[in-house]
Amino acid sequence: MKNNNYKWILWVVVFIILAAFPRVFGIYYINFFAAFAIFSLYAVTLNLMLGYMGVLSFGHAMFFGTGAYATALALTHIQGFPLLPAVLVGGLAGGLLALILSPLLVRVTGTAFAMLTLAFGQLIFVLALKYREVTGGEDGIGGYPIPPLHIPGVASIDMTNQVNFYYFAVAVVAICLFILWFYTRTPFGNVVVGVRDNAMRLDYLGFNLPQTKAINLIVCGAFAGIAGAVHALLQKLVSTVGVLDINTSFAPIMMAYIGGVGSFLGPIIGSGVLHLLEDLVIRFTQRIGLVNGVVFILVVLYAPTGLVGLFGAAKAKWFHKEKVS
Amino acid sequence: MSPTAVLYVAQAIHGLAYGMLLFLLSSGLTMIFGMMGILNIAHASFAMLSAYFCYQVLVMTGNFWVALLIAPVVAGICGVLAERYLLRAVHKQGHLAELLITVGIMMVILEIVKIFWGSESLVVKVPPSLSGLVNFAGLTYPVYRFFVIGLSIAILGIMGLILFKTRLGKIVRAAVSDADMVNALGINTPVVFMLVFGIGTWLAGIAGVVAGPLLTVFPGMADQLGMDAFVVVVVGGFGSLGGAFIVALFLGELNAYGIQFIPRLAPILMFAFMAIVLAFKPMGLFGQRE
Repeated sequence: MKNNNYKWILWVVVFIILAAFPRVFGIYYINFFAAFAIFSLYAVTLNLMLGYMGVLSFGHAMFFGTGAYATALALTHIQGFPLLPAVLVGGLAGGLLALILSPLLVRVTGTAFAMLTLAFGQLIFVLALKYREVTGGEDGIGGYPIPPLHIPGVASIDMTNQVNFYYFAVAVVAICLFILWFYTRTPFGNVVVGVRDNAMRLDYLGFNLPQTKAINLIVCGAFAGIAGAVHALLQKLVSTVGVLDINTSFAPIMMAYIGGVGSFLGPIIGSGVLHLLEDLVIRFTQRIGLVNGVVFILVVLYAPTGLVGLFGAAKAKWFHKEKVS
Repeated sequence: MSPTAVLYVAQAIHGLAYGMLLFLLSSGLTMIFGMMGILNIAHASFAMLSAYFCYQVLVMTGNFWVALLIAPVVAGICGVLAERYLLRAVHKQGHLAELLITVGIMMVILEIVKIFWGSESLVVKVPPSLSGLVNFAGLTYPVYRFFVIGLSIAILGIMGLILFKTRLGKIVRAAVSDADMVNALGINTPVVFMLVFGIGTWLAGIAGVVAGPLLTVFPGMADQLGMDAFVVVVVGGFGSLGGAFIVALFLGELNAYGIQFIPRLAPILMFAFMAIVLAFKPMGLFGQRE
């Protein structure tokens, strides 16, 4: 009971911080926080594959980028396309891509899975680069209108206002994160973890292995696509190097690893740490990749369970009464 | 020969040269994977590092042959150090951690290269003895590409002799099929691993130096070469040298003729080929295990 009360207080505090954020910090940090939220969602979908299902998606940017492109294309070509469907189109595109690839992807595990996703990620990157009639090639798509949020009979909220957009982005990400969190708690979510731990045993127990994997892939793809869609709305520009390239694939892997693989909160913490680090480093040097690379190597070397794991170990060490998990 | 036939033959030699280059690069990659189970994402980065070393030696001495000798060795030493102090430390954590360490190494090498040499393309000049054109059955062709083919065949011949005719080669081949058993027989496998990693990086280094004059030396080189080498290793089957050889040559030709006939789709062909092969054979064409 006491524990439950703490939880409620924590949620209220988080809510107040999120609501008051634009009032306290300037425009720059609003966009900073929105980008952090989008990448948190993106990294969580990667972790649903890496930490929960036990396969490393090395071309995760294809889901993110497809979602971003789908939203940008819909807004460019369809007059007066509303906001929420624009976000859903991104999710749909990501999910559809995962659905198309799933017959191939469910057959492989381990390094082969990483290579296959890397190959498809590159395939889509090159496709987007070459078909410039549709995607704009290296220049990408920009200048599409950002529609207002229509709530029928109540109001129409202007989304070109950055504070309004901040609330919208954070709300979308929060809803998606809640759905995903709920998803990991369902019996189906537990089966997915079973695939990681002992696939053969699950097979013998009568669970349908390929379908389970495929559904998880589609869920991950769809939510990564939603993250991409919100990213497209935030940046107002979608280009191959920004949303489909290999660095966009590496970013969520680093976030998940730094925060802690297999914990739901881990990638969110990792995303925060990486964004703060980048914000800090960029004031001194342009060599953000060097700092990221070194931090990443150090984390893999010395803290394979990430920050969440370190925190857990510290808690177990200092409060002996807590059960060591 | 008629002009069209000349064009076809020229493209075939083009493809052969690129295929041999790819095999030089991917032979090290597939050997490292076969023995240690590590997919070395940083493999092509070491090749790029070697190409920059080559540029540096050229600036300092002006002699391409000295650069060809020194640069790959230095890259190989970098590889050995990376294996000894980074990869071995995470060996216990499994293959995923090793894969991620190599991603980190790749990022660091990319930035180091940018810090020391900048982001521009650097031109590596080949010596006059290699820079001319040769007349070959009515077709004039750059000597340098023939040199690439010849050098690759020579090095791979030597590597083949070592691998199949010496005691060390026997140990390496045994370790590819079962590293634990070789260790149990009293052979110091960590040292063998380190050696193979060093030789693999050295081979990548040679590929990097040789690729320098063809592609120019620039920070995106690792991505360009690396992606092709991964496709070779994955399609050929992890750890299979013969598979890598066949697929490297095939991809070289596919690339050359693809650029001639369907220039827009050429970069996609390779990945499409990989997707088709993996759809039917998840282990690759000649792979026995994952």
